[in-house]
Amino acid sequence: MPRSSDHSRDPCPYVIFSDLGASFAMGAVGGGVWYGIKGAKNSPRGERFPGALASLKARAPVLGGNFAVWGGLFSTFDCGMKGLRQKEDPWNSIASGFLTSGVLAARSGPKVALTSAALGGVFLAVIEGLGIAISRLVADQNRPMSPQLPEIAPPASH
Amino acid sequence: MSRTNIEDEETFEPIYAAQEDFNPNDTVSSFLNTAYDPARLHPLAGLGGGGGLDYLNLEDDAGTLPGAHGGSSILPSRGWSDDLTYGTGLTYITGLTLGGAYGFFEGLRSSPSPAFKIRLNTVLNGMTRRGPFIGNSAGVLALMYNGINGGVGRARGHYDPLNSVLAGGLTGAIFKSTAGLRAAGSAGGVCAVAAGIWAYGKEALNL
Repeated sequence: MPRSSDHSRDPCPYVIFSDLGASFAMGAVGGGVWYGIKGAKNSPRGERFPGALASLKARAPVLGGNFAVWGGLFSTFDCGMKGLRQKEDPWNSIASGFLTSGVLAARSGPKVALTSAALGGVFLAVIEGLGIAISRLVADQNRPMSPQLPEIAPPASH
Repeated sequence: MSRTNIEDEETFEPIYAAQEDFNPNDTVSSFLNTAYDPARLHPLAGLGGGGGLDYLNLEDDAGTLPGAHGGSSILPSRGWSDDLTYGTGLTYITGLTLGGAYGFFEGLRSSPSPAFKIRLNTVLNGMTRRGPFIGNSAGVLALMYNGINGGVGRARGHYDPLNSVLAGGLTGAIFKSTAGLRAAGSAGGVCAVAAGIWAYGKEALNL
């Protein structure tokens, strides 16, 4: 049974930039928190705040950039698959994860790239599977119930 | 059995079709094929004249799409989240491309050997050294600017190009805050001017 198309996302070429920005924001903010805490923990007691600042200034933008590249490439391949197959499927996402991880590891040689690609595909398959399971669970609560019909006296015949 | 009239009776009795309503000469087509007039069904029926509403003719120029915070703009956006994601994404990819181009030419120029593989490697190294650095910095600046702009706009209650100038100044100052007061001040000034040009320029282009 075909899934209804997702109308909460913008149409395909434009959504790539939105995904780029959103991934960058997530990576940068998350990286800021993570590396800030890490930098504070790894600094001597009087120097915690400068240590946190230095660590997050150096690492958080890099993490943001990595997330952005991953998200942007993923979205590009996703849009490409949707255009190629003319279908909206979980398979699009799985194939996009496969391709993205493979391309990002391409400089390390074909074997590493293939392994990365396989891991990326499996990761996306897990995410899509969880998504389907959750949507099935939630949809079960909204199952339509047939209304109770009131007792109607049959029409008197004459 | 006579039909009950709803206005006459105090209690409502179910109305059944009476025997006299059945006409054995009725066919399905006699009640299905009556011409239906959509204008009687809904006041907005029949919009678009004789040819019907042609959605392709609707005005969809970029100049009439809503920009950030209302008013039409070349860069349509539906609010602060659109500003944040699209703005950061576009800035990041622009920074990445420009930095990558810079690194590309730098690698081409400084390659130690004319062999293709070595040149390719040098060029790729140059691109991956310059591109992400400029891209990341541009992205962080855009993120901070859009965040502060949205926050200031919501705090003030209305949106102004002046918000952008303030947001630009704060962004530059925070970005260079660890390099000392003077560096923060000058960076804040540069970014405020840039943000002002961007905001007032967008407003000017749309008038």
